Formats: sequence, C-alpha cells, structure tokens
Amino acid sequence: MDIIDNLNAVKRGKLSRRAFNRSLLAAGVGLFSAPLLPRKALAAEGDHPTFFTWGGFDIGELYQPYEAANGALPNFSIFGGTEEALTKMRGGFVVDAAHPCNVGLKRWVDSGLFQPVDTSRLANWGDVMPELVAMQGNDNGAGSPWMVPFDWGGTSITYRTDIFELEGEESWDMLWDERYAGRLGSLASGGDAWWCGAIKAGVDFKDIATDMAFEKIAAELRAQRPLIRVYTDDTTTLEQALASGEMAAAMTWNSSAVLLQSEEVPVKFAKPKEGQLTWVCGIMIHKDAPNLEKTYEMIDAMLSVETGKFMINDYGYGHSNLKAFDEFDEDTLKSLGLSKNPAAILDEGHFMIPQSQDWESRMNETFELVKAGF
Amino acid sequence: MSDAASTGTATSSGKPRASTGFAALFHRSPTLRGYLMLSPALVIMVIGVLLPFLILVVMSFWTREGFGFDTTITAANYARAASEPIFGVFLIRSFWVSGIATIVTVLLCYPMAYYVAFHVHRHKMLWIILMTLPFWTSYLLRVFAWKVILGYEGVINSSLMTAGLIEAPLEFLLYSQTAVIIALAHAWAAFAILPLYVSLEKIDRSLLEAAADLGDGPVKRFLRITLPLSLPGIISATFLIFIPTTGDYITPALLGGPDGAMIGNLIQLQFGAVNNWPMGATLSIVLMLWIAAVALVFIFVTRKSKESLI
Repeated sequence: MDIIDNLNAVKRGKLSRRAFNRSLLAAGVGLFSAPLLPRKALAAEGDHPTFFTWGGFDIGELYQPYEAANGALPNFSIFGGTEEALTKMRGGFVVDAAHPCNVGLKRWVDSGLFQPVDTSRLANWGDVMPELVAMQGNDNGAGSPWMVPFDWGGTSITYRTDIFELEGEESWDMLWDERYAGRLGSLASGGDAWWCGAIKAGVDFKDIATDMAFEKIAAELRAQRPLIRVYTDDTTTLEQALASGEMAAAMTWNSSAVLLQSEEVPVKFAKPKEGQLTWVCGIMIHKDAPNLEKTYEMIDAMLSVETGKFMINDYGYGHSNLKAFDEFDEDTLKSLGLSKNPAAILDEGHFMIPQSQDWESRMNETFELVKAGF
Repeated sequence: MSDAASTGTATSSGKPRASTGFAALFHRSPTLRGYLMLSPALVIMVIGVLLPFLILVVMSFWTREGFGFDTTITAANYARAASEPIFGVFLIRSFWVSGIATIVTVLLCYPMAYYVAFHVHRHKMLWIILMTLPFWTSYLLRVFAWKVILGYEGVINSSLMTAGLIEAPLEFLLYSQTAVIIALAHAWAAFAILPLYVSLEKIDRSLLEAAADLGDGPVKRFLRITLPLSLPGIISATFLIFIPTTGDYITPALLGGPDGAMIGNLIQLQFGAVNNWPMGATLSIVLMLWIAAVALVFIFVTRKSKESLI
C-alpha cells in the first residue's frame, strides 16, 4: 500500500525522491525484519521524533511548522495497517508517536503502551473539534485525552458514473449488485468491511457486539463474497481498477474518489441512503517516547491550519482543526464531500465505536472465514 | 598434545602455571576445545534458531487471553487446528499451489541449467550471474512486477488486445492461484538453477562418451546417465523451493484474490489482526510438521527411484 501510495505522491510531485526512498526503505525493512528490529531502531537519526504512520502521511506538507522550526522533518516509520503497527509495538518497537483510529482506541489504551496527552503543551489544541476529542474511551479519567484527533473521513462506495447504472438512490446495495459480479471491490480489513456490512445488515453500532449482529453481518458478507473481484487494503489497487474500468464500484475511503476525480476519471463517492461509515484517526504518544518535547512540537504542527488546508484540499480528508475549514468556500468543500459544519457529516454517518480485543479477534476471524469462502 | 599439556603445567620458575585453570583444561580436553572452536556458530544457532523455535513450541500450548497469554499448558489450539475445516483447506491449498510451483520451476530451470553446464564453454559464470539477475531486486518488487504484467491493463492483456486476439482483458490472469504459481515459479527460479547447474556440471563427461561409444542415442544417454546423476540437484532444488513457498504469504496476499490465500496468510492473520499468537504458533508448528512429513516421503520415494534408475 505504502509503496504505491508513495508512487502516486511522487507522480503528483508531492514527494521528494529522497523522502520516497526513505519510505521505500521503511516499508521494505518493516515488512521483512519487524521482529528483528532493535528497540529505538530509528532514534539514531538526530533528535527528531519518530512517527509510526500510514504511507502517504510522511510528507513535508503535513509538518510545515515543525520543519520551519527545526530545519528537518520528523522521522517516519510506515505501517500497512494499525493492527500490524500495534503488534510491532507490542513486540518492543519503540517510537515516539503512532497513528491509530478510533475503533482501535480501547485496545491501544489497554495495551498499556501509551501515555495521556498533556494538551496544555499544544498551542492549536483550542481549535480542535470537540466532537472528535469526545470520542468514546478517549478520556483517561483525569481529563486528558489518549489520542489527539487528526484526520477523519468516511468509508463508502466509489463508483464509475459511466459504468454503474444506478437504480434509484445511492445505497450500500450497490456493493451487493449481482449485475456487477466480479467487478466489485472491497477493502480487506475488517475494520472497514465488517462495519459497512453492519450498516448494510441494518445493525445498530450499539449492538454490534451481540451474537445476533455477528450472524447477520457475516451472512451479508457471505452473500457479497462471490461478487468481489479482490479484497485489498492497498487502496491504489482499487483506484487503478476503477480507473481502468476493471471495477464498476468499490468500497474506499474519500481520498480515493478525490484522487480519481482529480485525474478526471468519472467517479462519485456515494452518499448511501443508509449512511456512510465515519471514522477518525489520530496521534497517540508512546509511554517511553524518547523525544517527548519534539513529539509535542510535531503534533502541534499536524494540528496547524496549514496542515489542515493541505489535507482537506489534496487528500479530501477532514482535519481536526475547525479553522482549517475556513480556508475553503462552501462549494469546494461540497465537491470534496465535506462542509463548513463538519460535525454534521459525522452525525449523518455511522461513527465507529471502540471495541474490546475479544470482539476484534472474533470479528477478524469471522471476516477471514467469510473471505476464504466459509 | 600431551607435550603441550605437560609443559603447560609448570614454568621455568617452578611455579605451576594455571594447572587447574581454564587454559590447562582447554589444552587437556579435546572435546572442550572442539566445542569452543564451534562456539560462535553454536551461539548463533542457539540464539537464532533453537531459542525462537522453543519459544514457538511452548507458545503453541498456551492460549490467548485478551492482550496477553494464559500460560496453562493445553493442546486446545492443536485440537482446533485439527477440527476446523479452514485450516485443513488452506494447508492442502498451500501444498497444492507450492507443489505445482515447484514442479514448474524445476521443469523450466532444468533446461537452462543443462544448457549452461553442457553447451556453454566460455564465460560460464557470466551466464549463471545473468540467470540469477532477478534476485538482485527485492522479492516484494518482483511480486509487484507480476501484478503489473498480469493485470487488467497489464502487459499481457494489452498485447493480446492490440494483436486483436482477445476482445476484453482476460480476468483470470490476476487474483487467482495461477497468478500465485507464476510469480512463485519466477521468484524462486535462482534457487533451482544453482543446485541443478552444480549437479549437472559435476557429471563425468567420459560416462557420456562411453555410452555414445556403446551405441546409446542422446535420449538414452540423458535418461540413463544425465538424469539419474543430476537427481541430487533436482532433490535439493525441489526442497529449496517447496519449503519456503508453502509458507509464503506476500505473493498470495498480493496476487491470490479471494481464492488464492494460503496457510501463511492465516498464520500472519493470527499474529496480526486476530492477535492470537499462540494459535499462530500452533499453525506454524503444524505447517512445519507437515512439510517435514512430505519431505521425508519425498526423500524415501526418490531414494527408491534412484536405486531403480542406477
């Protein structure tokens, strides 16, 4: 995922060759030597913090104030998914900060690997959307958050307007449409697909942990499986398949639709009548962070309006700084599927609720059985 | 040896020198000396192979409990591995895919190795280096390359379409077991070429000349001399490809599609998203045992056939 995301970034001139090589290195080394890495493997690169994040978040535009103050970017270590990241950290990989999402929040906190955030050290904290801070399980009991919200968005269906013949309203049924058997795609991670299955099955997220919900969702996903060409977490695979017409519709994040539209592929990011899946990701600080001071500086840079402006415009994701939205007019935001009142978007969708480790294991195993054809 | 030991016990001043110490022991005991000389390799083996393996074995008898482990010894994971159909299906699929990939690789590499061993007379090393050239790039990139080649708008599909041979792109090329087999056969080719080349190169040419003098044609010469004598190379090539590919997870993850996942993907899943390290350990052990069993059968069969050939 990282490599192709990065390739795209290079193609669009958003990533320097040096940064690209570094992230290639990180991805390669990460894949093949995860268990071998010594603790604080990357601490050697000066006194800059190491941020353990998704591919595509390791570019200078997201850290401008930090770079201006320090003359360099933070160090990056790249993961392909948050589960992989948590596993690696539980295995002893120490970074300064990492980039999980709200559904994993409880488990990340339970792992005991993180420290609460001292928000008084963040100059931009006052502009952070309170709805995002108040996500379930984010309070450490003493009023400090565990996670600083950073990016948020939706998971929905990106479809080719010239290929997919819409019958009535946009709906999750589109990804179950037998007319397009073998031409539909899905994200492979249960963190997205299972929750979208829940919306399709009409399961309220409050009840998602019940046995009944498990059965209903699994049944929906089993019915969908024969129609799916590929399950992948590599968003570029889905984007390319949509661009070439190999797929008529696929489950993606908003960034895929924004990217394809910028390349003039006739696609739309559906607003399903049942509501889309909404999520928020953010930054958590490792309890043994070697460069705590600079870590706060990095987080503050990520919360800045400059960063928000870039992320909204180029990635099409929401940003946690409310003021970043003031940089755009209503029409631009609308074309990106966002609005001046971001909270409304979150309210319209289904916001993921943090789940226990047992739930997560069961969900992943069940979804894997479904994908394998059981 | 005894000289060294006796002179080592006393110095010119008459005082005993380290007579009970380590140095003396080192001189006196050839066994200890042997172990000490082996020790760097031994340490690496213990730390790098034996210890991780023991941890894996022990962990496979634990169970997952939230984030941690319940360390009560139980065979529950093994019972689960034996009873739930998904594990069996994936195991059989892995052996099937990697078995086919192994056969394809050896069949494709044998003629190449044969050509270099018998028909190339100058710059042999250059040929070998050229054939192992793909190994100079990362495994991951080679798999990605196949994704580009086999893809919907890939090299094969677009060539066939430009040539007018097909109307629409062939979809079975990518996201299928075929794709996994093709990529594995290419990615591991060097592991087959080298042992095959070595065993073919070692064959005494005078045997072939003698057979020719006695009236054997090229086919008979190959079947009666070259093939049996290159069997050790075929066997090691088979092992070198079969064992690692059975547990491979990158290739099926990228090229396999919904029906192409293999046992390695299940193991990765247990260690990753499912967070059940004990179950992952159990599956790894089960896989190892099965590979060992298959390997033993293979050795037995080839030994028999080798005897009958010679």
